[in-house]
Amino acid sequence: MTTRRLLILIPLAISLVLVQSYFWVPTYEQQAKGNPGRLEEYINASSGDASILNPILSADSASSEIEAKVFEGLLDRDEDLRLRGRLAKSWRIYEIAYFYLNERAGAGDAGTTVERLRRLKEQTSQLPAGVVRTLDNIDNISVVPARHFFVDKPIRGDDGAMVGPVRIEVSAPPRIKLEMKAVDQDLFTHLEKILGATYFDGFDALQHIKPGAAVGNGALLSLAREILPATAHHPVIEFHLRPDVKFHDGHVLDAEDVRFTYEAIVNPDNLSPRVADYEPVKDVEVVDPLTVRITYKRLYSPALVSWAMGILPEHLLNAGALEKEALKAGKDPAAFTLRQSGFNRSPVGCGPFVFREWKSDQHIILDRFDDYWEGPPNYKRYVFRVIPDPLTQEMEFYAGTIDAYAVQPHQVERLKNNPRFQSFSGASFGYTYIGYNMRREPFDDVRVRKALGMAIDTQEIIKYVLYDQGEPITGPFVKQTDYYNHAIAPLPYDPEAALALLAEAGWHRNGQGWLEKDGKRLQFTLITNNGNELRKAILAIAQDAWKQIGIDVSTDLLEWSVFIQERVNKQDFDALVLGWSMGIDPDLFQIWHSSQTHPHQLNFVGFRNPEADDLIIKIRQEYNHDRQVKDCHRLHEIIFREQPYTFLYVGKWTAVLDKRIVIKTVDEKGTPSYEKIKPTKTGSYTYYFNKWIKLAQAPDLTP
Amino acid sequence: MIAFIGRSAVQKIVTLFFVSIVSFLIIHLAPGEPSQVDPMNPKFTPEMVERFREAFHLDEPLYVQYLYFYRDLLSGKTISWKDSRPVLVKIWERFLNSLPLFIVGTLLTWTISFPVGIQSAIKRGGIYDRTATFFSYFLISIPSFFFAYVMIIFVVTRFQVPVIGMQTFGLGDTSVLNTLMDRIWHLLIPSVLSAVAGIAVLSRYVRSQMLEVTGQDYVRTARAKGLPPDQVYYKHALRNALLPFVTMFGLILPGLIGGSVIIESIFSWPGMGRMAYEAILARDYPVILTVNFISALLVLIGTFVSDILYLVVDPRIRL
Repeated sequence: MTTRRLLILIPLAISLVLVQSYFWVPTYEQQAKGNPGRLEEYINASSGDASILNPILSADSASSEIEAKVFEGLLDRDEDLRLRGRLAKSWRIYEIAYFYLNERAGAGDAGTTVERLRRLKEQTSQLPAGVVRTLDNIDNISVVPARHFFVDKPIRGDDGAMVGPVRIEVSAPPRIKLEMKAVDQDLFTHLEKILGATYFDGFDALQHIKPGAAVGNGALLSLAREILPATAHHPVIEFHLRPDVKFHDGHVLDAEDVRFTYEAIVNPDNLSPRVADYEPVKDVEVVDPLTVRITYKRLYSPALVSWAMGILPEHLLNAGALEKEALKAGKDPAAFTLRQSGFNRSPVGCGPFVFREWKSDQHIILDRFDDYWEGPPNYKRYVFRVIPDPLTQEMEFYAGTIDAYAVQPHQVERLKNNPRFQSFSGASFGYTYIGYNMRREPFDDVRVRKALGMAIDTQEIIKYVLYDQGEPITGPFVKQTDYYNHAIAPLPYDPEAALALLAEAGWHRNGQGWLEKDGKRLQFTLITNNGNELRKAILAIAQDAWKQIGIDVSTDLLEWSVFIQERVNKQDFDALVLGWSMGIDPDLFQIWHSSQTHPHQLNFVGFRNPEADDLIIKIRQEYNHDRQVKDCHRLHEIIFREQPYTFLYVGKWTAVLDKRIVIKTVDEKGTPSYEKIKPTKTGSYTYYFNKWIKLAQAPDLTP
Repeated sequence: MIAFIGRSAVQKIVTLFFVSIVSFLIIHLAPGEPSQVDPMNPKFTPEMVERFREAFHLDEPLYVQYLYFYRDLLSGKTISWKDSRPVLVKIWERFLNSLPLFIVGTLLTWTISFPVGIQSAIKRGGIYDRTATFFSYFLISIPSFFFAYVMIIFVVTRFQVPVIGMQTFGLGDTSVLNTLMDRIWHLLIPSVLSAVAGIAVLSRYVRSQMLEVTGQDYVRTARAKGLPPDQVYYKHALRNALLPFVTMFGLILPGLIGGSVIIESIFSWPGMGRMAYEAILARDYPVILTVNFISALLVLIGTFVSDILYLVVDPRIRL
């Protein structure tokens, strides 16, 4: 019967074709060991694909991982997290400061003021030390003569709506220009001691402007201060570029590339997510092909590290090149921006690896760049494989077809003791906390916040929730940096003391064991987002710990976007479990400054402390590392004392590598020497990645 | 016939219009913002969030956004927010990746289910039938991700061959035949996995259809006049039992674009399902909506094709 036979034969035939293919596939053994070229390849697995390989446009970690290999910035951070030059050989930071002559202050006209300052600079005996330091720091004093000009400004009317531009007549008084050797944020406070206490505050900008139309008084005053600020700091960074650095296409890098990168970021058409970092830049000036001078609008020290941004090749992306590309692709050149360019999928930079191939959601392949200015890396090829599933990643790792992946805590347990692998771990740059809404009772009382923190056993969380892959943290700075104040001991776990503190705040246990004050029970809701198992576990642990001392806590899990939009942004919560991932930079303005406590801002717990506010501003204006560290330690103390958050832990990352991967260095005679990979003080084990290589056999290394 | 086709086409276009509205609303009314607009990132100032919203037209009323989106879609100009690439190009690439998986999976499902189901029906109540029933229910109830892990661990540890991805990574330059076979091998396990649940369900259908048909008078007559059992089952009964499956055939069309998120993620298969899933997580509206629109279109075309096929195979139906 043909039908019957066919019904059986067809599936059999299909299955046979499929199954026989097994005999054609190379086994893992052949792949990982039989292929000598494999030793010169480094294969890294990631759960997500990159989105766009352009350092000024991407914001995801997978893209930045590749960009870090293909592009190079002017500077980066060394082993101790200090800045070091990369494409920039060196740099100099100084300052140009201005103040308007205040004729009413009775300190004389421009000429006499300058004379006086110069004279004081010579003979400084009777002045306070700080003022002397400031004066010594002044390199040159000059006068910008009075000017008369017009500006057009949009104005906010009394009803809050914007009114079209109003022409304003400005007759600016003479301005004193101070060229400083180094940035000094106390410059004007010190000058006040010489020129008079109200010299700058008393400067009446209003009398120097005349609006062309009627403008409300309040609006006019702020406008006047905007056009004629009494004082102005303009920090300047001068980068000296390394000569003869080449892009992957052979073009030599120069200062124009740096300026182009800056302009591409601030160009509104490109929608760069990094534009906020460059907003304080006033001007980028090419002095000569190897010198670029960046002037800032105001004191803002975190700006310096923004130059770690990868530098784009101007010759491939300038307006002409983009237009050519648009015409070639048959698109409208007017609407064609950097975002549409094919460059984002085949980037050219001057980093240690050259882009070769990108297959979406499969892999990205980079080859070593033999003309790399610091000498080519040891690995010939860097491969980025996309493997979304953690178990699959582990299987591939065992088989030797990937060299590294983000190991999960439970997998670390399995891999740590395997003699084939070496493992590294360190604290990550982020922490998990419980935040209290300080606008609400009872969280407005520091004793209550502290007691809540003391009732939670952080060690227990670290041990059972994180499998020991975490450590306690006491404040908002990255633990490996100098900014973190190690003198502060974590809150002790002490429920008795917590109860005592609560009693001090007026909360006593009632007959049923609940804490009560004026007949009201101590009760609130602790919330977090759904989908994060760690936070969910913390929710339960905190609830239980607080119940034990008589606090009636209910909990709630919300979907992430509901959690953010409805609760966090609208500040509608009692307490929440959340985490911050942070940069190395100590600027805490957005999360801790009291001006950031409005809805949709990040200080959603409502932390307000005048001294902390001052310190936060001082830290972001300070260019001197040691002074910055001092202020950070004090700020850390204040935040710890106030306990707006119960700081829980920083997670630990762990990495596992094949033992055969080592650091190889070649001395002048050409003899190679091998070293075990050691993480730097700050825990970065990939710091010397360019010197890594995989050997055929695990070497016998002297420790 | 022509009238039927015309009527059906009009109906389907109206349905498609409503589907486009509803899917647009669901996606836009769901909380969350595109991942480019990240208000929880301290580096994002409100001005930047505003600027992104403006660039994506998120600041406009919903109906204007709707018009923008479908204008771009119909003129083929939609671009993904994630990487600014044309959505249709992205979908096409992924479609080509998912296609082999879909073809092999469907082939396996449809070729294996029939013999299994027919045998079960013929030997109803026997040991074969009971075993097949047991395995069907077993395979239907086992979660596919779990089954996938078991398969991977089994194959990798037992046979020491790679099963992840579309081809062996770093295979290098080998012969065409080698590459082809390598690709087939990588197709095998994911497509078997996506087929097993289908086989389990479909063979049940085949069985019940066959049982229903074999109870009919004409089968009894055929048997009574002394035809060999093979001819009774495979000629008289099977032909009539096949009718409902013709309609099902049209309905597998949408599977073309669906893809399987779980299988594709576990096997690192760069297919449609994964792209759509990641687009949802990143709130990449243009990609989600386009996939949605195309699959709605395919569902409608599928039902239309089933209707026509039914007309062709069943002489009792005439319009």
